[in-house]
Amino acid sequence: MSDRLKSTLAIAIGAFALVVMVVGLASTGSSDPTSEDRVAALSVSIKCPFCNGESLADSASGVAADYRALIAVRVAEGATDDEILDEFAANFGDSFILDTSTSGWSVVLWLAPVAMLAVGIIAIVALRRSTVKRTGVEP
Amino acid sequence: MIATLGYAAVITALFAAGSVAFLGARSAMKREPANLALPVAVLAGASLASFVLLEIAILSHDFTVLYVANNTATTTPLIFLFAGGWAALEGSIVLWGLLLAAFIFIVSRTSSGKDTLGTAALAVMAAVAVFWFGLMATVANPFAVCTDVTNGVCSASSWWPLADAVAPLQGRGPNPLLQNHILMAIHPPLLYVGYVGLTVPFGFAMGALWLKQTGRTWLDRTHRWTLISWVFLTFGIILGAWWSYEVLGWGGYWAWDPVENAALLPWIAATAFLHSAIVQRRRGMLQSWNFMLVIATFSLTLLGTFLTRSGVIASVHSFTQSAVGPAILMFLAVVVVASLALFAVRAPDIAQAPRLDSLVSREGFILANNLLLTVFGFTVLFGTMYPLIVEAISGDEVAVGRPFFDRAAVPIALLLLLTIGLGAVSPWRVAAPSLLWRRLRWPIAIGLVAGALTVLAGVDEVGVVVTIVLGAFVISSLSLRYIEVVSARPEPLFAAMAKVGKGDPGYWGGQVSHIGIALMAIALATTSGLAVREVVSVDVGGTAHAAGYCIEYVRSFEEVQRHRTVSGVVINMLDQSCSDVRATLRPSVNTYPGASQPIGTPDVWTSFSEDVYVGIAGGGADQILLNVFVFPFQWLLWLGGIVVVAGGVIAYWRKPSRRREASEQVTAADKEASDE
Repeated sequence: MSDRLKSTLAIAIGAFALVVMVVGLASTGSSDPTSEDRVAALSVSIKCPFCNGESLADSASGVAADYRALIAVRVAEGATDDEILDEFAANFGDSFILDTSTSGWSVVLWLAPVAMLAVGIIAIVALRRSTVKRTGVEP
Repeated sequence: MIATLGYAAVITALFAAGSVAFLGARSAMKREPANLALPVAVLAGASLASFVLLEIAILSHDFTVLYVANNTATTTPLIFLFAGGWAALEGSIVLWGLLLAAFIFIVSRTSSGKDTLGTAALAVMAAVAVFWFGLMATVANPFAVCTDVTNGVCSASSWWPLADAVAPLQGRGPNPLLQNHILMAIHPPLLYVGYVGLTVPFGFAMGALWLKQTGRTWLDRTHRWTLISWVFLTFGIILGAWWSYEVLGWGGYWAWDPVENAALLPWIAATAFLHSAIVQRRRGMLQSWNFMLVIATFSLTLLGTFLTRSGVIASVHSFTQSAVGPAILMFLAVVVVASLALFAVRAPDIAQAPRLDSLVSREGFILANNLLLTVFGFTVLFGTMYPLIVEAISGDEVAVGRPFFDRAAVPIALLLLLTIGLGAVSPWRVAAPSLLWRRLRWPIAIGLVAGALTVLAGVDEVGVVVTIVLGAFVISSLSLRYIEVVSARPEPLFAAMAKVGKGDPGYWGGQVSHIGIALMAIALATTSGLAVREVVSVDVGGTAHAAGYCIEYVRSFEEVQRHRTVSGVVINMLDQSCSDVRATLRPSVNTYPGASQPIGTPDVWTSFSEDVYVGIAGGGADQILLNVFVFPFQWLLWLGGIVVVAGGVIAYWRKPSRRREASEQVTAADKEASDE
């Protein structure tokens, strides 16, 4: 098989697979999470009181199991995720909500890694530029 | 008696470590031959004695020793009794000291007295040992004795081993979580070997800066040490995850708990260092960066130890609060300030000739890998310390947990996978686009086909599909490269396969590890993205449906063992129609005397496509409430971990001839620098 033919074949197979994948993902859409999924997701986002900093999902203690059962009851009653989080925040304080994406302080938390990444990219680009300048070679 | 001997051994080791540090530093500074054989032998012997004596005290149930009384009991099974030697604070420091002394001993064997870099490295390592044995001699004395007993427990103690000692009739026994599974006896020592082993590259790096031998000699001499520490650290972390999965009962293996992060951080830094060291050795770049990384790696091991030992961050893994925490924090501060100061002073002496011919090259992709690992490490570190920082500044209490770490780690991990697949098949200096395309066209096609098949199999989680595309891309990219190199050789197939591997074990070992990482990434995606979690209630003798299975509650049972009571249920897992028994599981709840909370112990049935994980969530003998979790391809995570470790072991056998040269003679450039 010639080199060009191999490339064409690889592109054809890859492109066909990509189309199947995208169409498949687009057509199923995102299914609604089940009650169990929601309880699991909420348990990850709430810190277990009296459990050494573990989340409700991660703690093997009876307390955590009780609170998970409570979340299941609230989900069954039709409460939304935000309502349940708010109830826990009201009872125990904001520091028990592990999902920090919404609190004011979290901006720093999210921006710091991005800033770090930017600095690193600039450093690598600078290294490449200085090589070009010193050696005068542009490969 | 044992306490007195043990304390004497600790003090002897402390003085021996001090002698090694002092004599080594003096000779290295004067560039004179050193004879450290005697103090090193004493250090090794005394540290071994302290460990053995502590074990004897534990195995003979000598409850006059406070540590023995507080952490073991006569009913503790032998294996956990033995592990009791390092399962609590003071004992863990004893094991730490023993391992460090052993490494100092081995390093001293590989360096002659005339070898100033080796001598300087030994002095630095011994100085670190002085700190640990100093801890044992003062605030973390493992041989403190019990001087008063109230209600059967030690109520007063003395660090002075000759004080009048009394013994409670029975010890308190270990923490129930620590004696619920055999892995708990294995996982911590493995982590310790990894942690302590990273002292060796640190010692050599500091020695090299100090002696102005800033060329590649220190890297050549520590490469194997870094690798072996990394292998142990990797294995320790994976076993820790496995323990968590088998014991904790929530079906997870990683919770981004501060102490898990504390083990992950040095691993990330060491991984970055392993890669950047290759770039310096092959292309003469990143000299300064390697010093920074080795300082960071060692500092992060200390930070991890501090987080684990100080109780400053509430965590399941933490030992109780004590004066050990502040002591380690002080030492960490000294290490960071001193090593960065030395680095700053020597910075002008570090040769700087970076030459990055193209961003699209092996070194270009390793730079990208280092950048991503640095950002990853920084994110984990910042997220872990963030609640402390915010509380210190504003007094607000905030929590950072899995939602943050998961969201931040996933994109970084996917980009890392991409750089693995691209970098491993790129040549050094410049990767011509045509060559890269020839090597990558099939891996790209295979990755996309794997993604399409996943979608056709009914998976609609985008994250899982993307991970499988990248994982298949990495695995096929590395495998096809191997096949290409093998088929280009004249020998018959098997001879050629062996020859290629033996020709460059460093490279191929690395690729095996990369394949392991790809397998783990796929398993992380399937077990988190496609997990099914259900809670089901079953009457005794009856059946119920959950997670695609018919579940039969056969009977309950209770088993009284020496150190615990196991209350469990027998569960049959049948197919949907309740006709065919596929597996029988026995999840239980274990009660330990003296522990307030019983420990749930799940039972797991592993098949090719999934793990079925069943734990008791509540209920009684007549009706039981069960957690039924299904984790697709969970075994792939453990297999991937073993493959990563195996790759590290293969890479260990890298080119012995060249390394021997390097360790025996300082490279010309280093020689000149140190003769100045």
